[in-house]
This record gives sequence, structure tokens and C-alpha cells, in this order.
Amino acid sequence: MSQIKDQMPTLIMGGSLLIYGLIAKTGALLPVAKYLHTHKTMDLQVTMTLIVGCIAIVGALINTTRKPGTSKLDTFVLRPLGGIVLILVMAMAIRWYAEPLMKIISKGLQPTLGFKIYKVLNLNYVVLGILAGVLLTNTWGIPKFAGEGVKCARFVLKMGVIMLGARYSFAELAKLGVYSVFLVGFFVLGTVFLVLWLGNLFKQPKSMTGVLSAGMGVCGVSATVAVAPVVKAKSAEMAYTIGTILSFGIICMFVFPTIGKLAGMSPVQFGAWAGTGILNSAQVAAAALAFNAVDIETLKVAEIFNITRVLFLPIIVLVLATWFGKETGQKLSFKSVVIDKFPVFIIGFLILFFMSSVGLFSPPSHYKGKYIDVSYNDRSQVTPEEWEVLNTAMAAGEFSGLTPTQLEAVTNLVEQHQIAGNFEDRADKKAFDKAGRARMTQLQGVLAAAKAKQITLSADVKAAIKHAVKQVKKKSKTVVTLTDFMIWFFAFGLIGLGMQITKKAITQAGGWPIVMGVIAGITKATLSFFVVLWLIKDVVLN
Amino acid sequence: MSDEEKKVTIETGDAGKGTTELSESANTEKLEERALSVFSSDRNEDIVALVFCLITTFFVLLFTKWLV
Repeated sequence: MSQIKDQMPTLIMGGSLLIYGLIAKTGALLPVAKYLHTHKTMDLQVTMTLIVGCIAIVGALINTTRKPGTSKLDTFVLRPLGGIVLILVMAMAIRWYAEPLMKIISKGLQPTLGFKIYKVLNLNYVVLGILAGVLLTNTWGIPKFAGEGVKCARFVLKMGVIMLGARYSFAELAKLGVYSVFLVGFFVLGTVFLVLWLGNLFKQPKSMTGVLSAGMGVCGVSATVAVAPVVKAKSAEMAYTIGTILSFGIICMFVFPTIGKLAGMSPVQFGAWAGTGILNSAQVAAAALAFNAVDIETLKVAEIFNITRVLFLPIIVLVLATWFGKETGQKLSFKSVVIDKFPVFIIGFLILFFMSSVGLFSPPSHYKGKYIDVSYNDRSQVTPEEWEVLNTAMAAGEFSGLTPTQLEAVTNLVEQHQIAGNFEDRADKKAFDKAGRARMTQLQGVLAAAKAKQITLSADVKAAIKHAVKQVKKKSKTVVTLTDFMIWFFAFGLIGLGMQITKKAITQAGGWPIVMGVIAGITKATLSFFVVLWLIKDVVLN
Repeated sequence: MSDEEKKVTIETGDAGKGTTELSESANTEKLEERALSVFSSDRNEDIVALVFCLITTFFVLLFTKWLV
């Protein structure tokens, strides 16, 4: 009887998921989903809720008939089942309801506040997940049935870090000039050592210092998760690090564009500075757009500088493994650091990065699954109506305000019905692609100039050019799906991580991590500001 | 979670492994984080995570690239 009572929450959650899935299948939830802009996920919502619901009910029924033993199935599936289902329900609620709702509320408050709270406070599934976990633990406490499941959080977070490797490709990173890579490397390593030194100065625990140094040096959540097992960091220390990085980023988002404008930085210089000085990628993008909303070069440079840091992750893991070993008085040989201490899941990250770089998921030149395909095919062309609009505008001289290169790109678009390289170069793929990409950039420039009201184009012409650019920008379904898995893994892991953070743990950490984070962040931002002004001219990308 | 609960989780954190080095040493300070995992060691956890991810990747490739 007590076993049935113990399994009741899991049975109820499983049943509720099945009911939700069946209702969603009828299409009754579509109006709500459309309002929340989650209608594209309806198929996923049905599949996921039905599968998880069935597993929950079957697992709970098995648990009611027998006491969980010590077999692998019991240890890894049946015992933690209740907790796993609870976290999954929370993750679904956050991803399909809380996060979209936050976006809508934030948009509604924008006219009053003058900014989007969603963007400023970074209220995405990362923050909402941790907050939900912390709230549950510190109010009702972790329910008894969920205790074992919460222990799966780190394991799932590690899967998220491994999946992260699929989003990047070496070919995209190779676009960054050599000295830019050195610049990024210098600041990554410099920040790590600075935080380690500060930790020593303020007499902070090694685990806290180690994980904060990686988070501040590399890139927030993923680096924090990656380094935590190496320096034996506790959940509260991981959460503190993530909190420090995000809070510092919020300040940077406002301060960076203002300073950049006051200092008269060029778009490329600002992109390099934001990409080096701000940690969270969403905040980097926000700062870049705040500085320059029309020139995509700023955003592109900022993003490339930002993602290059991710590749320093394995190096930082090695550096911190050595540091932590020495600090805790262990004798470390090269073998013990590289083979024994090196986390296997970072090798997983590298394996997926390698697969991605050789073009297994997408053409090697992709970035987060996006790539440009200017080859001749139906999916790259504009529609006959759009072509007609462009042709008529060309004949009427509507493009007279364009620069010669922009005009050439538009003329070529009309001639070839799509963005492409020179027809006579089609056998030489490299030259063909290069010319096509250059034309795409010029057309993006035309759109940016029209947006900034430097030139006047009719709405139809703008729409046609926009579509032409969109047609050659492809997205790999494989990378998009792998990214979805990564997001779910992170959502699950971060909720579980939040659940392991008690008030006591937060109080124990005190305010020092924030002080150290702010000192390191300001130092890096100031130094990189001068270095970027001094070294980065207008050509950083190969 | 209170300290008492932590102690319990330290023991069950090593569930299914019987008396292993972890439970024998009984150093709660050091074992606290291990107790927050269903795996008996970081290496096991990492290897299982890696295998799961490779299987996931294989199926994603199968259904989004190779069979399409």
C-alpha cells in the first residue's frame, strides 16, 4: 500500500501528461500555442508528452508491484523515474509556456519601460530553469519521490555540453585572423589566471575559484559545467558562477555600446570588443545590435570572437586540472593530467566538433547549422513575381542611389534570378562561392541602407531582395535537431542543478564570488578595449 | 535539503555498488558532490553521457540526413 502511495505523484504526472498529449493532438491547444508562438512545437509537444507519460505510468506501475532493487535498471531508471518526470514536466512548462509568456509580457511592457525585460535580464530557459529549481527546493523542498531523479541533473548537463560541439565548425572559426585568435586566447587565459589569483587573494575555496575562472574566461554556462567536475565544484558554486556572469553581462549590455560610441569605435572594433569582453552569447548579440543595428558586420565579428572562446574550453580544462591537482597537493604527471584528469565528456564535445568540422552534419562552413549555398538550384531562386518586380525597378532606375558594387549585385540578381557567383566560373567552386557571397553581402548592405533611410526603395523591391538573401541562407536540419536536444539537456540539467541549491549553500558562498567576477570582468573589458582599439583595424576576417 | 538528508543521499548516491571505496572512506565533505549523482564515478557518468550522445547523434543523422 505504501508503495502505491509513493508512486502516486509519478502516476498522476504520467496521467496528466497523457491527457495533455491527447488534448494537444486534437488541436484544441492550437490557439493558445499560436498566441505563445509555440505552434511550431505542437508535434513535439504531442510526441514528448505521450512518450514521457507512458514511460512514467509503466515505470510507476512496476515500482508499485516490487521494491526497487540494486540492478542497473533500478539504479538508473526505476528509482530516479519520479524525479526525472518531475524535472521534465518543469522543463516542458518552462520551454512551452513560461519562456514564451515572458517574451510576450516583456514586449507588452516595452513601451512603458523603454527596453525588453526578457532581453535585459536574459530571462530564457537557462535562468528560468535554475530559478524554478531554486524556488522549489527553498519553498516546498524537493519532494521525496523526486530525490533520486535530481541526481541525474549533472549527467544530463554533460550531455548538453557534448552536443554543443555540433554547433561549431573549424572552417567558420578559421575565418578569424591568426592574431585575433591569439587575442581571444590571451584574454581567455588572462582572465582565468586573474580569477585564480583573486581567489587566492580573497582566500576563497579552490572549487569556487576554479569554476568561476572558467566561467569568466570562456563562456558562461557550458564552461562552468565543463570545469565543475575537474575542480570538484558544488552545485551552488556552479549556480553562483552562472549568476555572476549573467549579472555582469547585463551591465555590459548597456555600458559597452555607450562607451563604444563615445570612443568612436568602428563596427568591426566594437564587434571584437563585445565578443571579447562580454561572456554570454545572447548578451554579446544584444550589445552588438545596440551599437549598430544596420551593419551586420558588427554582430558577425562579435559572434565569431565570442564562439572562438568555446574552442579554448579543452585547454582551460587542462590548465585547471593541473592547477587544482597542484593546489590540493597531488603529484601530477603529464599522463595524470591529460589522460586521468581530462573529463571524457569534453572528448565527446571535441568528437562532435570534429564531426561538424568535416561536414557530417552540414557543409563544413556552417555556423550553428546555418550556411550559405549560392549554387544553382530551385531553392535558391526568387519567385517569378519577385523577379518581375526587380526587373521593372531596374528599368525604372529605382536603384540609382546604390554604390557601383551594390548595383552590380542587384543587376546580377536580375540576370541570374538568384544570388550566385559568375556563371563562367561555375566549374571553380571556390571562386564561384566567393563571388556569390560577396554579392549577398552587397545586397544585405542595400537592405541596411534602405532601413537607415539612406536610399528609398519600394516595399516590394525590399521584400524581393530580402527573399533572395533568405533563399541562399540554408539551415541544416541535422544541426537544428541536435541543438534542440542540447537545449532540452541544458533545461533539464539546470532545473536539477537549481534544485540542489539551498539557501544555506548560497549564504556560505557569500558575496566574494561576485566581487571577484566583477573585478575580473572589468579588468578584461578595460584591457580588451585598449587592445582592440590598438590592434584591430577594419580587416579582421579573412 | 538538511544536513541529515545529505548524509542519506551520500549513502544512496552510491546505490547499487555495495561497499565501495566511497562508502568505506565515509568522508562526507569530499563525497558530497558524488552523492548528488546516480553514478559511482565521474568517469562512468562521462562515458555513459558520451555513449548516449553518440547514439542520439546517430539517430538524428539517420532521420534528418541519411533516410531523407
